[in-house]
Amino acid sequence: MKKLLPYLANYKKECILSPVFKMLEAIFELFVPLVVAAMIDQGIGYHKKGFLFGMSMLLVLLAIVGLGVSITAQYFAAKAAVGFATSLRQKLFSHLQSLSHTEIDAMGASTMITRMTGDITLVQNGVNMVLRLVLRSPFVVFGAMIMAFTIDPWTATVFVAVICGLSAVVFLIMNFNIPMMNDIQKKTDALTQTARENLTGVRVIRAFVKEQEEIARFKGRNEALLTQQEKTGKISALMNPLTYVIVNIGIILLIRSGAVQVDRGALTQGEVIALYNYMSQILVELIKLANLIVTINRALAGAGRVSEALEVKSSMSYPAVTGGSSQSAIPGECVSFSNVSLTYKDGGQPALSEINFTAMMGWTVGIIGGTGCGKSSLVNLIPRFYDTTSGSVRIFGKDVRDYTKNELSALVSVTPQKAVLFAGTIADNLRWGKEDATAAEMQEAVLMAQAGEVVEKKGGLSAVVEPGGKNFSGGQRQRLTVARALVGKKPILILDDSSSALDMVTDKRLREALRTREYPSTTFIVSQRTAAISDADMILVMDNGRIVASGKHEELLATCDLYREIHETQQKGAREVSA
Amino acid sequence: MKQLLQKLPFFKQGKKEKMSFEDQKIILKKVWNYILPYRSSVIAVLVLSVLIVAGSLYVPVLVGKVIDILLPGYIEMAVIKKHLIKILVIVLVTAFLQWLMNAMNNDVTYHIVRDIRRDAFNRLQSVPIAYLDENPAGDLVSRIMTDADQLADGLLLGFTQFFTGVMTIVATLVIMIRLSFPIALVVVVITPLSLYVASYIATHTYALFSQQAKMRGAQTALINETLENEKIVKAFGQEKQIEKRFETMNRELEKISLKALFYSSLTNPCTRFVNSLVYAAVALFGGYAVVNGKMSVGLLAVFLSYSTQYTKPFNEISGVVTELQNAIACAGRIFEVIEKEPEQTDPMQTQTPAALGVQGRVSCRDVNFSYVKDKKLIEHFNVEVMPGQNVAIVGPTGCGKTTVINLLMRFYDVDSGTILVDEKDIRQMPRSGLRRSYGMVLQDTWLRSGTIRDNICFGKPDATPEEVVAAAKAAYADSFIRRLPKGYDTVIGEDGGLLSAGQKQLLCIARVMLSLPPMLILDEATSSIDTRTEMKIQSAFTAMMVGRTTFIVAHRLSTIRNADLILVMKDGNIIEQGNHESLLAAGGFYASLYNAV
Repeated sequence: MKKLLPYLANYKKECILSPVFKMLEAIFELFVPLVVAAMIDQGIGYHKKGFLFGMSMLLVLLAIVGLGVSITAQYFAAKAAVGFATSLRQKLFSHLQSLSHTEIDAMGASTMITRMTGDITLVQNGVNMVLRLVLRSPFVVFGAMIMAFTIDPWTATVFVAVICGLSAVVFLIMNFNIPMMNDIQKKTDALTQTARENLTGVRVIRAFVKEQEEIARFKGRNEALLTQQEKTGKISALMNPLTYVIVNIGIILLIRSGAVQVDRGALTQGEVIALYNYMSQILVELIKLANLIVTINRALAGAGRVSEALEVKSSMSYPAVTGGSSQSAIPGECVSFSNVSLTYKDGGQPALSEINFTAMMGWTVGIIGGTGCGKSSLVNLIPRFYDTTSGSVRIFGKDVRDYTKNELSALVSVTPQKAVLFAGTIADNLRWGKEDATAAEMQEAVLMAQAGEVVEKKGGLSAVVEPGGKNFSGGQRQRLTVARALVGKKPILILDDSSSALDMVTDKRLREALRTREYPSTTFIVSQRTAAISDADMILVMDNGRIVASGKHEELLATCDLYREIHETQQKGAREVSA
Repeated sequence: MKQLLQKLPFFKQGKKEKMSFEDQKIILKKVWNYILPYRSSVIAVLVLSVLIVAGSLYVPVLVGKVIDILLPGYIEMAVIKKHLIKILVIVLVTAFLQWLMNAMNNDVTYHIVRDIRRDAFNRLQSVPIAYLDENPAGDLVSRIMTDADQLADGLLLGFTQFFTGVMTIVATLVIMIRLSFPIALVVVVITPLSLYVASYIATHTYALFSQQAKMRGAQTALINETLENEKIVKAFGQEKQIEKRFETMNRELEKISLKALFYSSLTNPCTRFVNSLVYAAVALFGGYAVVNGKMSVGLLAVFLSYSTQYTKPFNEISGVVTELQNAIACAGRIFEVIEKEPEQTDPMQTQTPAALGVQGRVSCRDVNFSYVKDKKLIEHFNVEVMPGQNVAIVGPTGCGKTTVINLLMRFYDVDSGTILVDEKDIRQMPRSGLRRSYGMVLQDTWLRSGTIRDNICFGKPDATPEEVVAAAKAAYADSFIRRLPKGYDTVIGEDGGLLSAGQKQLLCIARVMLSLPPMLILDEATSSIDTRTEMKIQSAFTAMMVGRTTFIVAHRLSTIRNADLILVMKDGNIIEQGNHESLLAAGGFYASLYNAV
């Protein structure tokens, strides 16, 4: 929570004013029993009806002032809580945008989303509750105690005892209950998991005729949850009765000692009633406070998680202006890797080792190999999604680390493996590749990506894209993501397994279209199929993070066993391969 | 009471939600059926709450009596002590009953939630797969878990709160009228104001809250979309643009949230204000009454303490009403699951494939099938598969290959025509027997959280360790399993956790290897598996297929060429069938696919 306090700084005024007004409200409320005591002792005692009327008007006045004060407090509390949450949300969102791929991998999308949504809402509720209610309770509780002391110090000692007793009870029950609540949460999670697993695996479960076993499994966890809930329920059910007993014992003691004092003439009847009222007020406030403790606990946990997320720093920095200079001696060189190795954070084994190659302007470079062999890792280094662990990646002879972020994204365009579109229109999506793209430019890219019929079928470039592109099939999305990468006509194009969902005919047409582009472009094609890269100027065959061979299709067929193996298993009419 | 409540804005809101009062009544009746087994506890809770209300209202009366005798010079400590002891006893008894009621109430609630969850889950084991395909798993899980909880909170806890509230109001009213009619009248006239104020605020903030929910929903959609695809956002350098969009949304959300939060937070101060007015009025009129000798000071203290208590249940009740609405909606969602028609029960008792003696002949005679009535899929489909034959199912992605699996396994039933296994209509066979006769390995692998061993034994829990290892070896999985930290006892998380896609599929093969039924349904790997693992899977498939009727969703030309029969699918329908040579000679869709490569 401490780390998040700076975001409250803009609302310092509200954070101070809200409790101040809450305190005023409490003070006005605490006057009420005194007024009533006066009504009883003076008004009734001396039969002064006018005094009674005046005092009851005073009560109404106190109520009106109290209302005004309290509304003001609520406003400041709401403003501080909402404003705080808004700026925190903005900050966190920007912060997450600034992270590099390494941190995104480490954190994971679902964690980031929970921090942005659920956790911040928890914190907002927490701030609001603390300002509105939590501070009110101590004011009332201690205020009532102080008032009691002004009436009769001796009897007021009962208040001290009651407050101590109540705090002890609340603390003890919470202490028992919170670990038990956590246990309930765990058991609930286990039950949820059982249900989810059952539903996602329904075909397998029914194929193996395991329905009865599933029912027994669910039953076991359902019963375990029930047992824990019953145990916890018995303890948490103690809270209200115990506080009730303590406060009422307080009242009994108060009346007893009050009787002695009245007898001695040190207290009046009205004052005893006032003390009695103060005691009742304490009970009401404590019950409210106890109900809030869970909210506050959850808010604190949420705040902890949010500040943890804010502490994650991007491990990548870009130069503000272009640095370094071309060290290339080879004219026409486009992308070159020298002695590159890459080990992901917490990755253990290196994902890439000793990668060396040079791709010339205008080349098509094919990259092939099994899953997990490092194909995507390799191409991800070109737009500097990750930094190399050692060695350097150069574009036009200059280290990628010497380019500014904007320069790099002007040089390289990528179609990632995962074909996703974003909510908006098709045109909105295509403009990601070039902000000011004209309709003609977009159309050109669409046609080249073999997505002409897709766009037509959906009703043109202004057709609506639902979040994630859900209203498009996998193949349609894939073609549109290729189009998105083509719009910018950038000098380097990376297709990371971007035709896996396309049928072979469309895939072939796409590659032909790419070859006929009029602007100079170096293209990297990552694929599992030799057919997709057989006409490349250079093919890199990868295995286990290394380039095991490179060359043209025919050369590799003659020299590289792995390449030949891959090729043969994919050929039509290939004989059965047995391992 | 009901009429009064219906006039309240809350109930009007409920009607807007398209749930008629009749519907709500039907749902409540269903909930009642779940309460029935616990009716004695529920009755006990209600009786207890009456006693508790009586006890907690009686205490102030006693206190008032003591205060009346607190007159300087006339104090008799013995009498006071007697009263105080009486108060103490009542307080202790009331507190104990309170605990008993809370604990019983919790118990009943938890038991009912358990029962509802159990019934919903059990029903899901027998509903048609079509229902599960239509309803996303996440939605069903949230019905079983979240809706059941909300139902319990709102309906059961809410009900007792409501009951206690009404009891308190009625009892307070009765006592006040008995003590002093005019002053009771003052309280009765002013108090409903507080109820009105609370509901006025609630209706007016309702619109704000739904606006806030809408805005928040839009923002969450943007957050999800962006953060799930953060790498793509970065690849195209769109961070700043998205941040700007986010900021606009955020500002708007701030405005609307501030309004919603502020206006809704007026409830407490406003009802407290009305409360204070009641208090002032009681003090004034009570004071006059005491002066006129119609009332004692102690009685005035009782009234003052009642007037603060009296408004509280009103506020609670108005909160409960909204919760009830929500709970009924949740109940509706969960009962929809519980009441979903199960599949027709099997005609015979569960039988093992051995008892059925399946040879593996599969025939489809004039089969027609579609998922949606007016969208025809498979029409007049006929095929004869002899025991031990291999059938390759081919076609472009999304052509509906899973439909064939759905029909063979009877996950779905045909609309007309028959599918026969060994000349017996599969609808005349028990589902369990039919399904056990098939071994199924799908590309979409599903593993359960648990150990590797648990997963391999899934279909045969009593398998010996040797059998497990033998199955794993036959599936080429033994070597990678041995390299895992705890070998066969390694725990894998939900959905396979740390395993690669290929390894998961090998485990699924091992799972089938252990029981190896007479017929197989296999799904060849596409792009997500590396070449070497793919070769292993291929070899495992080949070994399994010997002597077994096999349906294989094929991507590899070698598999297709070697098949005894090829079914060519397009747009959900089977458009061609034959072997490789005959299909090529026919020059149809298959030939065009083949020649395109």
